[in-house]
Amino acid sequence: MDGMSIQDPGAPLSPRERAIHLLSRLSFGATEESVEQVLQQGESAWLDAQLEPAVEGSPALIAALSELPTVNMDSPAIYEWVNGEPSEEELSLEKRRELNRRRRLPREHLLKAVHLRSVLSTRQVFEVLADFFRNHFNVSFTKGGVSDYLITDYENQVVRMHLLGTFADMLRASASHPAMLYFLDNHLSRRPPSKQELAEIERNTRRSTGSRQRGAEAALIAAQRGLNENYARELLELHTLGVDNYYKQRDVIAVAEALTGWTFNSGRYAEWDFRFRSDMHVEGPKKVLGHLVREDRDGGLEEGHDILKMLIEHKGTADFIAMKLVRYLVADQPPPDLVKSVAKVFRKSEGDIQALLRAIIESDDFWLRRNYRTKFKTPNEFLCSALRSLGAEIIDPTRVLRVMADMGQPLYHCDDPTGWYDTAESWLDPGVMARRWQFAEELAANRIDGVTIPPDFYQSLPAEVPRLWQHHLTKRLLPSGAGQRTRNALSTVTDQYLAKAKVADVQELGPPLVGLLLGSPEFQQQ
Amino acid sequence: MKPVTRRNFLLQAGALGASIPSLASIGGARWSGALGGDGSALVCIYLRGGADWLNMVVPFKDKNYQAVRPTLALGEDDGVIAIDRKWALHPALTPLAELYKQKRFAPVVCVGSPHTTRSHFDAQDFMEFGAPGNRTVRSGWLNRYLGRSSTAESSEFRAMALQELLPRSLRGEYPVLAVPSGLDRKKGSSTLDRFEEFYGDGMPAGGEMEGERTEDNDPAGIVRSGRVTIETLRRYQEIVTKSKSEVEYPKSRFGAGMQNIAKVLKAGEGMEVAGLDYTGWDHHAGQGGAEGRQANMLRDLAGSIASFGKDLGPRLDQTSIIVMTEFGRTVRENGNNGTDHGHGSGVFVIGGGVKGGEVHGSWPGLKDDDLYEGRDLQVTTDFRDVFHSVLESTFSFKVKKGFFPDYASRKVSGLY
Repeated sequence: MDGMSIQDPGAPLSPRERAIHLLSRLSFGATEESVEQVLQQGESAWLDAQLEPAVEGSPALIAALSELPTVNMDSPAIYEWVNGEPSEEELSLEKRRELNRRRRLPREHLLKAVHLRSVLSTRQVFEVLADFFRNHFNVSFTKGGVSDYLITDYENQVVRMHLLGTFADMLRASASHPAMLYFLDNHLSRRPPSKQELAEIERNTRRSTGSRQRGAEAALIAAQRGLNENYARELLELHTLGVDNYYKQRDVIAVAEALTGWTFNSGRYAEWDFRFRSDMHVEGPKKVLGHLVREDRDGGLEEGHDILKMLIEHKGTADFIAMKLVRYLVADQPPPDLVKSVAKVFRKSEGDIQALLRAIIESDDFWLRRNYRTKFKTPNEFLCSALRSLGAEIIDPTRVLRVMADMGQPLYHCDDPTGWYDTAESWLDPGVMARRWQFAEELAANRIDGVTIPPDFYQSLPAEVPRLWQHHLTKRLLPSGAGQRTRNALSTVTDQYLAKAKVADVQELGPPLVGLLLGSPEFQQQ
Repeated sequence: MKPVTRRNFLLQAGALGASIPSLASIGGARWSGALGGDGSALVCIYLRGGADWLNMVVPFKDKNYQAVRPTLALGEDDGVIAIDRKWALHPALTPLAELYKQKRFAPVVCVGSPHTTRSHFDAQDFMEFGAPGNRTVRSGWLNRYLGRSSTAESSEFRAMALQELLPRSLRGEYPVLAVPSGLDRKKGSSTLDRFEEFYGDGMPAGGEMEGERTEDNDPAGIVRSGRVTIETLRRYQEIVTKSKSEVEYPKSRFGAGMQNIAKVLKAGEGMEVAGLDYTGWDHHAGQGGAEGRQANMLRDLAGSIASFGKDLGPRLDQTSIIVMTEFGRTVRENGNNGTDHGHGSGVFVIGGGVKGGEVHGSWPGLKDDDLYEGRDLQVTTDFRDVFHSVLESTFSFKVKKGFFPDYASRKVSGLY
């Protein structure tokens, strides 16, 4: 039970420790109840149940999601929901303000839904995988523009749709989804216009403006239009092969050329779906990673598919995805042998996500004591696990989402296409802890707007024996136990309180103890 | 635990610091007291995303420049600030023109990495770790400086970043403070008190028993990080709440960051290195010319730096500011009113005795043959040489062989 005591580093985990470890990595925080559940069901039965594509989860979650009307809408529906019927008249200032306010709502709904599911869903494994792949195929609202119409559908049709399927399908879905095409500018990438087209642009502009100079300028600007390498590069670097693995700048250019014309329909009455425009496509043979891309003389769409296939089958992709997944689920320094064996599974199965997951959980490496309680929680993991272990009622997660942003990890707002790093090194700077302590205390004191600790949270504590409260609360919030120093600190607080209080009241001493527990070093680990 | 003696000493050192400038400038030699207490400091500003250098310090007379950038090019009509016959500043950088005139602002052109990567993340890692192409180095160049120049008396306050997470240049063994922006000051300080027993140095009763934390059972360094948090944030809160600025800063996150750095510097706590990130420079589309996204950000950047310079007054001559980015962008615009990832960029060096008022670095030009891979600015100055010069001149720190792995760095000639 001692969280920080020195143990034989070679000793195998006890059944209880195994349950805690499994839940630390495959849920947003082990709770007393979930530990019992794993112990009763057995590890593999628990995992099977988690991967059952059945109901979304708890009644609390279903109720909360039902208040977010856009979370299950596709992009055209969101567009219509935001903009309503077109109006011939000029909009009043008030109407325009209302419209602007409404435009932000689908984004708010989505962020809330992601957070609510992470905390409340009974299918925690699904949500953990969603967190990983959402981050891997990162798109961000910071891009602005039409992102607000697109990302909800991306969450549903790219991330969640394929979590129990294959990496290959998810990659293909992301590559052709408007949210990704927009985020990484592929919708703009095109072959340079021909002389004929330039002449036409010049002529049209000259006629419409009556200015020879404006016509010439328009043609000059149009002449610059061309290849945009942004998506092609990140496809190779971040989504598949890993940085500088196997590819060179010339491959980036060839991939960008093959993907010219991958764009999407937009605007009122549009379907906001993938569209291939052969008039934007760069023709001619392309060589990628030493292979000639099958030239598609029938417009060019298939060239992109051919490249995706090539990338899915590439050894580098298997290695890279296996490494990232092992780093995320097992250790900041991923054990090389485990990565190798997971990569093998990837190559046999086009990256069957369930198979990858099982390969990790069924390995010996996963269960080594040296990997137990060694991952530092990201801000997202810290906040979700705090709410989970308190069984907090979430009325409105807006405030918690803002705290997450303060801590440097705003959901769906990661500017960098790389997504967030998942290692302790990237998050554990001196100073970071202060923000966590502050949140821990505010949450314990019920001072975080929109979330409350249920009144019966302290009910099961033995009212007559205040000195035992800290132990009961420790058991609930730190299933893997507290170290000596944390126990001492809690005792000090208890002593100080009991010396002053006439009658010991759990509603008074409980919250400070909870705040300290959530801010303790032990709670930052998983 | 309150390191009272050290604090007192620091305060004295700070008081001394105020009278140093005249001493420091004699013959370029610097008085190097304990604790970095001579007041010398370095502020490292990182423009994340690969800023388009070519539209910051502009070869405005170059015909090629005008030709390859039909919508983005800046000319005299756009109000550029000509600083010599060849070069002009983006109009949004006007606040820096004054520093240039005072010879305290030195742009260095065509700075970059010998590594060809056009990946943001690699380029940033390589630059901030000071080790292009080397993936085994995981300590930032500034962190290495801090580690190698630290003494038993070094201030715990030597280095900080005004943001939630440290920039990579400051990561490493040497503890550096990241200041969370959302920390409510008064409430925050009692929070620190309460968590001291969990994380602090004080040995609670029974602490020596089983369960006492050692490096071995704090593998991620959580406890260590918490301890440093408490000690340094306490003092930081005191400083920024008590001192007032006479100078107005742009009302922006970046401006507020620069203002707080100035406060800490003026407080004389022995702070030597401060880091501040400015994100969002990856302008693939809609970059704009004299007005637009990049212009708005440049205005904020330049305004904040100029205010910082005024705020510091003569102390600016002991304080170096460097502004950098991971790479420059394509010389040609891309047709979406933007630019793609390129190669060479540039660095601003301001204050700290730099030889300002002239543009440093060699400039190959913009003809196709002059470009790197026919598309990007060349790199004619290795960024490590700039870092080398800045460290040596700001801190009288000898940059030894191996400081930048596998590279014999040297000073940029004429920069100081």
